[in-house]
Amino acid sequence: MTAEVLRLERVRKSFGSVNALRSASLTLREGEVVALLGDNGAGKSTLIKAISGVHPVDGGDIYVRGEKASIRSARDAIDLGIETIHQDTSLAPDLSIARNLFLGREPVKLPFLGVFAPLDFPELRRAASALLRRVGISKKLDADAPVDTLSGGERQSIAISRAMQFAAKVIILDEPTNNLGVEETHGVLRFVKEVRDAGHTVLFITHNIHHVFQVADRIVIMRRGEIVAERAVEDTDLLTVESLIMGVDVSTLVKEAKAR
Amino acid sequence: MATPQVASLIILAIVLAAFSLANPNFLSPLNISNMMAFLPELGIMALAMTLLLTAGEFDLSVGAVFALGPVLVMLLAQTAGVDIGLALLVGLVVCIAIGAINGIIVTKIGISSFLVTLSMLLIVRGVALYITQGFPLKSWDQPGFFVTLLAGSFDLGPFRLYTSLFWFIGLTLVCAYVLNWSKVGNWISAIGSNRSAAVARGVPADAVKIWLFITASVLSGLAGMISAFRISAASPVAGTGYELEVIAMVVVGGTALTGGRGTILGTVVGAFMLRAIRNGIVLIGVPGLAFNIFVGAIILVMLILHAMIQRRSVRR
Repeated sequence: MTAEVLRLERVRKSFGSVNALRSASLTLREGEVVALLGDNGAGKSTLIKAISGVHPVDGGDIYVRGEKASIRSARDAIDLGIETIHQDTSLAPDLSIARNLFLGREPVKLPFLGVFAPLDFPELRRAASALLRRVGISKKLDADAPVDTLSGGERQSIAISRAMQFAAKVIILDEPTNNLGVEETHGVLRFVKEVRDAGHTVLFITHNIHHVFQVADRIVIMRRGEIVAERAVEDTDLLTVESLIMGVDVSTLVKEAKAR
Repeated sequence: MATPQVASLIILAIVLAAFSLANPNFLSPLNISNMMAFLPELGIMALAMTLLLTAGEFDLSVGAVFALGPVLVMLLAQTAGVDIGLALLVGLVVCIAIGAINGIIVTKIGISSFLVTLSMLLIVRGVALYITQGFPLKSWDQPGFFVTLLAGSFDLGPFRLYTSLFWFIGLTLVCAYVLNWSKVGNWISAIGSNRSAAVARGVPADAVKIWLFITASVLSGLAGMISAFRISAASPVAGTGYELEVIAMVVVGGTALTGGRGTILGTVVGAFMLRAIRNGIVLIGVPGLAFNIFVGAIILVMLILHAMIQRRSVRR
């Protein structure tokens, strides 16, 4: 069994009187793709926001590579090697690809000037082009082009590449294939596999169970703020997973429907 | 990227050419000196506003701060007999406080900057009126180091130039550097373009915005001081309506009102344009009361042109 990268133990989060996350425990291992499934309001988003530092947890423990970690902000998560690609919100559309790739970690000259240090543009451009080539983004993209000239799939790929570039241990994708066309969806899913083969751990949220069976190694299912089941993809099937998500046996529903 | 600025420059050239054809005195040394005396005061405020707008916020209290700063400083120096250096320091601290309060309420409580700074406009203007009892202060008759530093003038050939022009040029270079070349400039654009993306990358968005509000207040106070020293008087109603004129300069220059895209060069062009229009319209003999009709119409045309350029470059 490969080494564990991230472990959550009984993490809790509530918003006012709503217990969005009751007691979630989860272990992610090196080089696996884990799909997080659940109906709307099951707590998937809260869980990834807890891991990525957007909504720090109220209680429970988080371990990164076996060591207890405190994730109170997005910066903490990034520093621990956890990169999150939020749905539609991970890039700044007005900025160039290069500036986006290095946002928050800009290469600078004269670093003693702090936040006023000048960007190292040649390095920025060089690193951005090298990265675009390395991740094999099919179309030739200009590192100086603003992100709002890109398609949805290209943006997802850029965001994922950015996560890879910082040697992230865990890459979290929030509905990476939402609003994408069929071809682009396949591009992104193929990219997810490449990310795993490069040794990263991927946790992704989706509503599309078919995508899960195409790329995931393991499925984690949430319901009402709790993790209710974990299955290896090869040991389960679509109907079982749907039943687990809804909390009812779908096959009986199908039989009943046919009987009528 | 450069298209909106180029368009602004071309339009500025057309405006200047049209006015000088209509009235040759428009480009006379005296008139140019006149425009150059006014330009830095609004221009300096517009620089700070550009950074703030690029980060997705704006500040309506700048015109009131423009009045309160000098009123406070001159009241302390004249009535209370405080040393001018100390009085300026107090003015600076008050400006920092106003900006910090704006910024903290906007970022930490999450109220739109429109509402917060509108309230602040009323508070600051009210304070300026109350502490002066509504009257302009008696004229400032103490030349000295600070007066020369901020509003000294000298003749260069047929032109009369003020030191404020150098403040404007210097601050323009600083702001252009910060926005286009520095690390924090990248953050400012990113915050205005997609705040949650910037925050997710660990960019301290709230701190950046608070500093930008402070910058806007401090530079407005500075502009107010320059103006007060230049005309040797401080009035509690100075700068009324400047907030909108400054925002107009910035958006006419091509900075997006919605944040994410800002241009300092554009703002300088916009500042020139609005000053030139205000001045030129008087010179070509438009009646004083009809004046704002033209200013408004010209700004509208500018904005329509920008929108058309924008739409075309998106379709491309």
